[in-house]
Amino acid sequence: MAAKNHGQWLAEPGLKPNEWVDSRIYSDPGIFEEELEKIFKKAWIPICHESELAKPYDFRTTTIAREPIIVCRGPDNEVRAFLNVCPHRGMIIERRPSGSFLEGQPSGNPKRMTCMFHAWQYDLRGNCVYISREKEGYQERLRKEDVGLRRLRCEVKFGGFVWVTLDDNPQVSLEDWAGPAFTCLRKTLEAEPLEVFHYHKAIVNANYKLWHDTNCEFYHDFMHYHNRVTGFNDAYFARKNEAFEHGHIVVGTFEVKYENYEGFQSRAALSFPYLPPNQWYMIDMFPGMNFNLRGSALRCDVVTPLAPDRVMIEFRGLGLKRDTAEERQTRVNHHNSIWGPFGRNLHEDLLGVQGQGTTMLPGSEPRRILHGRHENQTIHDENGMRHYYQEWGRWMNRQPNNPDLPYAEPMSVAAE
Amino acid sequence: MTWKRICEAAEIPENSVKKFEVDGVALVVVNYGEGFRAIPPICPHMEEPLAESGVVARCILTCTKHLWAWDLRTLEMQGETERPLKTYEVKQENGTLLANIEGELTYDFDDAAGDSDDDDFFK
Repeated sequence: MAAKNHGQWLAEPGLKPNEWVDSRIYSDPGIFEEELEKIFKKAWIPICHESELAKPYDFRTTTIAREPIIVCRGPDNEVRAFLNVCPHRGMIIERRPSGSFLEGQPSGNPKRMTCMFHAWQYDLRGNCVYISREKEGYQERLRKEDVGLRRLRCEVKFGGFVWVTLDDNPQVSLEDWAGPAFTCLRKTLEAEPLEVFHYHKAIVNANYKLWHDTNCEFYHDFMHYHNRVTGFNDAYFARKNEAFEHGHIVVGTFEVKYENYEGFQSRAALSFPYLPPNQWYMIDMFPGMNFNLRGSALRCDVVTPLAPDRVMIEFRGLGLKRDTAEERQTRVNHHNSIWGPFGRNLHEDLLGVQGQGTTMLPGSEPRRILHGRHENQTIHDENGMRHYYQEWGRWMNRQPNNPDLPYAEPMSVAAE
Repeated sequence: MTWKRICEAAEIPENSVKKFEVDGVALVVVNYGEGFRAIPPICPHMEEPLAESGVVARCILTCTKHLWAWDLRTLEMQGETERPLKTYEVKQENGTLLANIEGELTYDFDDAAGDSDDDDFFK
């Protein structure tokens, strides 16, 4: 149709209110801050996999909603999470991204977490075990028994992922929040220990939700050269986006025909336990996690929002812990040839969201972003995004298509 | 008595701490000028490796991490020190240093009390 003048361009699209969103939800600094408070400080986040903390005293650090977090495996083999902050003067306790407390550091002792600033020390249960010159400075007014690290709720679940929440009293247990969406893969992921074999991260100039949007729809097949020229068939398009409570969706399985992809072989021999050969399942979880099992390799994306127009995406690839060296190499090849930094799809996906981010900077004129495709809830339908933004609206108490208004349940979507 | 050779006494300069492993037992030997001490290789406070953190002066061994210290002549604890050193008996024969090692000396480090049940803890 015709090009639009400014007024026409700004007019509401002829779609139902839940079939588009206002681009301010991707760009507004105030909305972004509110998302950190209302969503990321309340949700369960899979911050890493337990195989990344394989031995007692191993640790890993990260942030959730800018709060520094440390997870570590104790001498009793339990994985625990703490705020990575010293209760004395607010110094960050551990600055390395990962490592082990088994050996001492120049400013710390073996088997303890040490704040290098004044040498206060904590055991791996978060108890304060040493305050330097305690009695000289605090007499009996403050003892090491009176202070300690802030411990956070932490569960190892759904295939060994380490889930942490900043909320001591979450409204829903992790099991009830994520369990139903994981049903399709639970037996497969929990049959035996998994292991991370690939990690990389991307920092993209785009809002974190744009990445999740991309993961929630396959309509962008048209951006993927290889998908266009090789992969399409009736079974491919017949897959459904199934909505689950709490904003999650699951993309149903189909059998990947690897013989259609030049240079690719069947992955049946290395398919995960209980998974029929060459099947592909995907779980997209609110507010921004993705679990993607394509036959022989599991991929997990976790987003960390850094700013309205900036997100860190961590990519992990996992196989079976018991893999032989040869099996592992094959799995790594399967993973990297599609999802590695030089794989055939991932960089194209990153180009997509970076391009969206370019048009949605803080202060950019609000635009309508269309989520209105209906295609019988199959993979080119946009019901996954509509489902996600209902949940977003509830957590934020804002209308996704007009964030100045409080949220109201759309009548039409309930039927989806 | 199980006397085992550690090294030649001349290998350990005065006022220094050196780590050895004798038949699978790790220990450090301290030359404090007036004599030698053979002790477990870690500080009884927080397991700090004494070969790196131990400093000897005027017969006092100090762990420089948190300043626990012992007079090596008498093994008397100094200042805020809360635990005694354990020692292996040592002797010299023709310039060779020997220690009486019946078994490895270790310190107990309490793993602090267990967690309360998560649901109680976070309420």
